[in-house]
Amino acid sequence: MNGAVTLLRHSLKRVRTLVLVMGTLLSVFQVVLILVAGSIQRSSGFDQLGSLIPDFMRNLMGPSFIGLMSFSGIVCVGYFHIAVMGSLVGLTIALGTEPASEIETQFMDLILSRPLARHWVITRSVALLLLCTAFVLLMMMLGTWTGLHFLAPSGAEWPTGELIRSLALNLGVLMVCWGGIALAAASRARRRSVAGSVVGLLALATFLLDYVARAWQPAESIAWLSPFRYYAPLDLVMGKQIPAHNLWVLAGVAACGFAISYFLFSRRDI
Amino acid sequence: MFGFLGLNGAGKTTTIRILLDLLRPSAGRASIMGLDCQSQGLEVRSSVGYLPGEMGLYRDMTGRELLDFLGRLGTRPVVESYREQLVKRLELSAAELKRKLREYSTGMKRKLGLIQAFQSDPPLLILDEPTEGLDPLMQESFYELLSEAKARGRTVFMSSHVLSEVGRVCDRIGLLRKGELVLLSTVEDVRALAPRRLRVWFDRDVNRPGDFPAKYEIVEIQPRLWSLRVHGPLGWLTEHLSGLPVLDIEIDEPRLEDVLTRYYREESQ
Repeated sequence: MNGAVTLLRHSLKRVRTLVLVMGTLLSVFQVVLILVAGSIQRSSGFDQLGSLIPDFMRNLMGPSFIGLMSFSGIVCVGYFHIAVMGSLVGLTIALGTEPASEIETQFMDLILSRPLARHWVITRSVALLLLCTAFVLLMMMLGTWTGLHFLAPSGAEWPTGELIRSLALNLGVLMVCWGGIALAAASRARRRSVAGSVVGLLALATFLLDYVARAWQPAESIAWLSPFRYYAPLDLVMGKQIPAHNLWVLAGVAACGFAISYFLFSRRDI
Repeated sequence: MFGFLGLNGAGKTTTIRILLDLLRPSAGRASIMGLDCQSQGLEVRSSVGYLPGEMGLYRDMTGRELLDFLGRLGTRPVVESYREQLVKRLELSAAELKRKLREYSTGMKRKLGLIQAFQSDPPLLILDEPTEGLDPLMQESFYELLSEAKARGRTVFMSSHVLSEVGRVCDRIGLLRKGELVLLSTVEDVRALAPRRLRVWFDRDVNRPGDFPAKYEIVEIQPRLWSLRVHGPLGWLTEHLSGLPVLDIEIDEPRLEDVLTRYYREESQ
């Protein structure tokens, strides 16, 4: 157990700059979005903005369009903007593929030549994923809270705390899901670049699948395969409750990824 | 002290990695001190200090951070004074230990590797090509560390290409050929298999004797110099020389290389 804590501390130390920078950037992004939303709100621009959107886009986005064209909606965009989701999935892939990197650099030889059971390496990575995910999401929520309290125009309708927590929770579970997949790939691969590329391409493919399925019916039949299908931020913005099913599916995939990682890593050659 | 020998690709490093449970054997089992290396791997590895052939390091760590990190991963405590002694003996300064590993030369990384292997003073040291990259002075320091470890009752298992080094520091050797152990013996016994080189100089020209006994191999016979290889005691020669004008005799100790290169040649053929 002591060795596992040492390993976790070592990994946290190695990724601290990356995680801090990403947390800060995403936190600042939340603040910037609030500034933008405040600016539109002050100029009563949400109505004008709405009228600029073509009808087919309104039809495509459905009723959530109304929710999005509001101060509250713009603030929430920070939790599902493609750049934010891409960065977070990229971060979890980087964290999840650490074992492959340690094998590639042969640092794992030094670690496992000590009396340390192999499962602690995976447990370390799971803990690292959970801690870093929680930290980045808390930073984002802190950015939202700070921006709303100090920069929001008076009279603007804030997103509820529950909505922000739901978005962050669902996004967090999605990140952990991709972390589990990345960890499973890294437990088999000899090179981090291979594991990272495979999972990155898979993430891109499933994101596109989910995106295409929203507009193209034939793709809908297999869209359930995409983890992104289980993150529906626009529904949450529209006031729906976070579906427990979505969380269970994502958490289930993550748990399967972790279980596969333990299995593969305990049997592989280093 | 056990020297583990073999040509490149013979399986030395693979064997070491199986002993440390880094590789899983496709068949058979390995044990250290009566403990199975796989099912009782944790107990085995708690008694082992390991120096890999190639040190995988994070370039942004300092030498001190690496030693602390690896020390904390083990179950045996690292005595700071002993570690400092190792650092001093291998001539790494405190300032160098504060430097990032990206600034380390090959030799410095090797020294750091030796310190991390020795620092908890484990009962068994497994060293893969330990002197690779060390300068001659550091090699001497390393040999001293080995003999001190031996005096404290530690066991050393080292793989090496350098036969003279193995002949100098090891008590027993094992020779691996294409994954099979083809020789397991004490260094003394292996040396006994080798002929001694003998050269005899004469004051004046002497006649060549008619026949040398079978255990004598003739390298060169000149009127005033005989160069021979002798298996076993000199016997016949001492009696024969008593009647001749001998100026000088030079006898080289049998060398490990003379026996082992024969095994190597058989492998390459």
